[in-house]
Amino acid sequence: MRKRVLALFLTTVLTASILTGCGNSVAAEPTAGGTDSTAAATEAKPAEASTEKQTDGKNIPELTTEPLTITLWDISTDEPNRGISEAAVQRFMADYPNITVNQVHQQNDNYKQQLVVAMSSGQCPDIYVHWGGGPMAEYYKSGHACDITDMYARYDHPEYVDAAVAQSTYDGKMLAIPFSGLTGCDIFYNKTIFAELGIEVPTTIDELEAVCEKLKENEIIPFALANASKWTGSMYYMYLVARHSGNDEFNAAYTQENGGSFTSPAFIYAGEKIQDWVKKGYFPNGVNSLTADDGQDKALLYDGSAAMMLHGSWQTSGLKADNEEWYNENIGVFRFPEDSEAKAAGVPQNVEIGTAIGMGMTFNCFNDDGSVDQEKLDACFVLATQYFNDDIYNEAQMATGTVPSIKGFNENIEDPNNKYIIDEFFKASNVQLWYDQYLPASVTEVHKDCMTELFGLEKTPMEIGEEQDAAMQKALAE
Amino acid sequence: MEKVGNIGLAKAKARSTSRAATVFLLPALILIIVFIVYPVIDTFVISGYRWNGISANRIRIGLDNWYTLIHDEMFWKSFQHNLIIMVYSILLQIPLGMLLATFLDAGGKKFNIFKIIWFLPYLMSSVAIAFLFVYALATNGGIISSLATLIRGKRTTIDLLGTSPNALYTIIGVMAWQFTPFYMVYFLAGYGNIDSTIYEAAVIDGATRGQYICHIAIPLLGPIFKTACTMSLIGSLKYFDMIWNMTQGGPAGTTELMATYMYKLSFQQFNMGYGSTVAAGMFILITAIALIFNRVFKVKEDY
Amino acid sequence: MTDEYRASKIKSKIAWIIAIFFAIVWLVITITPFFFMIMNSFRKQFDMLQQGVFHLPDPWYFQNYIEVITHGFFGYFFRSVIVVAVSLVLMLIISAFAAYPLSRMKFRFNGFIYAMVVAMMSVPIHVTLIPIFKLTTSVGLYDSLGSLVGPYVAFALPMAIFILTAFMKTIPKELEEAAEIDGCNRYMNFFKMILPLSKAGLSTLAIYNGVSMWNEFAFANTFLITPQKKTLPLALGQFKGEHSLNIPINLSVLTLSVLPMILLFIFFQDKLVKGMMTGAVKG
Repeated sequence: MRKRVLALFLTTVLTASILTGCGNSVAAEPTAGGTDSTAAATEAKPAEASTEKQTDGKNIPELTTEPLTITLWDISTDEPNRGISEAAVQRFMADYPNITVNQVHQQNDNYKQQLVVAMSSGQCPDIYVHWGGGPMAEYYKSGHACDITDMYARYDHPEYVDAAVAQSTYDGKMLAIPFSGLTGCDIFYNKTIFAELGIEVPTTIDELEAVCEKLKENEIIPFALANASKWTGSMYYMYLVARHSGNDEFNAAYTQENGGSFTSPAFIYAGEKIQDWVKKGYFPNGVNSLTADDGQDKALLYDGSAAMMLHGSWQTSGLKADNEEWYNENIGVFRFPEDSEAKAAGVPQNVEIGTAIGMGMTFNCFNDDGSVDQEKLDACFVLATQYFNDDIYNEAQMATGTVPSIKGFNENIEDPNNKYIIDEFFKASNVQLWYDQYLPASVTEVHKDCMTELFGLEKTPMEIGEEQDAAMQKALAE
Repeated sequence: MEKVGNIGLAKAKARSTSRAATVFLLPALILIIVFIVYPVIDTFVISGYRWNGISANRIRIGLDNWYTLIHDEMFWKSFQHNLIIMVYSILLQIPLGMLLATFLDAGGKKFNIFKIIWFLPYLMSSVAIAFLFVYALATNGGIISSLATLIRGKRTTIDLLGTSPNALYTIIGVMAWQFTPFYMVYFLAGYGNIDSTIYEAAVIDGATRGQYICHIAIPLLGPIFKTACTMSLIGSLKYFDMIWNMTQGGPAGTTELMATYMYKLSFQQFNMGYGSTVAAGMFILITAIALIFNRVFKVKEDY
Repeated sequence: MTDEYRASKIKSKIAWIIAIFFAIVWLVITITPFFFMIMNSFRKQFDMLQQGVFHLPDPWYFQNYIEVITHGFFGYFFRSVIVVAVSLVLMLIISAFAAYPLSRMKFRFNGFIYAMVVAMMSVPIHVTLIPIFKLTTSVGLYDSLGSLVGPYVAFALPMAIFILTAFMKTIPKELEEAAEIDGCNRYMNFFKMILPLSKAGLSTLAIYNGVSMWNEFAFANTFLITPQKKTLPLALGQFKGEHSLNIPINLSVLTLSVLPMILLFIFFQDKLVKGMMTGAVKG
């Protein structure tokens, strides 16, 4: 029953969006979003009388005046994220006193389990956050995500970067509002060590290998990698694949069509490169036993035993939080070097690995009969687009080193390393979302185990390619 | 006449016995049925569906999941890991616990300090233990690597958690560290339950302490010994916490256990139907092993 | 005769020396990780990662503890105390009730019920999350401490009944018969004789389950969502984000959570010994 109503609803929305001709294009209001529009709203404020809201003068849905309660689940357990997100909720509740937002901070480690338990028991929160990719599709297919394509086209919202909109979309439908910023990954390096040994920042993979050799000669481990976490090793694999083939081979392998396979040349190249580097000692001993969560990779940077670390841009604030002085003195960053052969063959060398949305908020506003609870959905939409993502929120995010996925925010980043990473991100011809978020959940598990086997030299690149192919085909068949 | 009276009396006694038994058992049974039996039945029901765990519709697929389970290499590999852990747990934790308890029992109060410190590991949460041992056993700079470096006189790294089969044996060791203290206290309580006059009588008969322990105390501890083995057996077959925090089944599935496998399927890979099948299979296997164990080592019981 | 005596005396002395040697080795093995936990809780994250975890705190850094205590630690602590105390008492009474007939009465379903209880020990906790979650929300206990008592007691029961049954079986049957001749019925028997005699078993269970309830995470994390209602094992979460983990702060939370357990055990183990002394009956 519920499914049928949902299908009906989807067809309607789909037709509507086709009729109005908006796929992912930004809505009617040209100044909608970013710093400009909110600034405009602030200026407009004094003109308004007693009931002024920060959304006044904006094209947003009219919210109910009846009492309404919204449950919001996020994973902002620790400061400063907790304070920033709670403040956004407070601003919303001050403007709409009849609406109560029940904000729950779940712990990241078990968050996916919590969502499964709640959704399975019919207790899914009205707004929940997630990392997009395969799970988002799963939530949507199971009827726990409202299609907001139409609303996104009709109402004001921040002008998100294209990659962020793309990542919030599944099957042509907008399902999430980004709120937690861009994340890229690049190579952090110890400037002091580089300077002492007279090493230049490498721009090609060949140069990178020369740098590694030089570091080895001086008994410094080239890369601080903690691969018990698996997604850390995956970054090397993803970048080598991307440098060798852009997005093409991965996209082909993802569909497994037209000869696409995880055993295609780029994957073999990446696997062989990694194993060659392992054999040459470019990674720490016991690389599969070190965990990133426990900071065992950072530890190698800190005590000077390693010189480089390929990691996510969150490390700029992470390293800084540990010791800002040391960070400013020693840490620089460079992009993953280019594959000169592939470049000569015309493969784009500016594909970046990362995520354009960090996390997105998805709305689960349905009535008992399965129809959309538009009243609640409107409120959720306004909360997510106008209070999260407003000026105050974005500024606070910037202060912590998180760059909102909104156009224009790459301009004034203070931290030079963070600025570098985000600039690279904006210059990228394409952003490749982390495999472990993009792939279907069952394939993710296989991919991660393959990373262990690859770095542990237990299986050949061909063997792990075949394993990933098998898992992908199985997932596609379901 | 008298015979009939006797039978009536016996019947009345039996009736009063079953009434008393019902009264005593009722609260426990209600709780167990609501919180454990019902979920188990639910698990078996779900194992008949293809279901991602969050959708309103599940597809009935009969015994397909069970068929998959029987041919699932990963499941049997996990089961095998569980069996290895089980065997080593029983061989390590029980005798060690026994040894420690014997030492404490023989030493009496003056060894209280040993008892307190030896018991500490059991007080810690698995999360904390996992975390501490990841560092203590680290390949670079961990205790074992540092000791090896010291002994060999040159930089040595020993990878305990990142390679197979080291990881599994390391985990067995950490589990022994965590659970031995419990069995120690358990056997200590068992020793305490032995009538003190038995020891006195044995001493009067000229038995040494060693003889008393081997020939009198240990046989007397029989049922308690068996209980301890059963606990260790079941505990190691459904183990989850520490291994989840320490290796998450890695490297490459070489420390995957039935419970971690089930958890990944059910809560991370949107495969609740099959995850439940794994859980149900796990339940059947553990129960079977526990019951067989109790049959084989049947201790003389008298009511 | 005296030679033999002396020889055995020397032998026992050597045995003791060897025993104490190994006792000390085991002592070092058990205490080392604690040492690291406590030492590292007095350091800054950077110092710990840079100097290695085996370095002594330099300088000693107390801010971690201040941070933890000012972030509602005692609230978490007292809620845990309440939940564990209530669950533990209920669990001990109910399991002793159940073990009594199973160990000492002949009735029809004895074997079956016992087997069922043993079987219930092998249920993995995670399969019960969704059914119990549904139950909890439907009776309106979601997000309250009460939601934990049911599962905590129920999950401890199979093991507890199993252990107590074994313990009660070791109590000589003659005692009960004698009491029955003296005119005690089964109920009086239970309270006057069986329960006091099972003290050692009950204390063991209190320790076993007290610790696991104190450290229980899965149920607490699923059923409690408001910070003002959460229990101690969830306190770790507030110092841990998606990408940020302050290890020393977490270690100080862990130290503070295990400390009361240690103190309790130091106090309790003495009682345990006493309980065992009075538990031993002259027969």
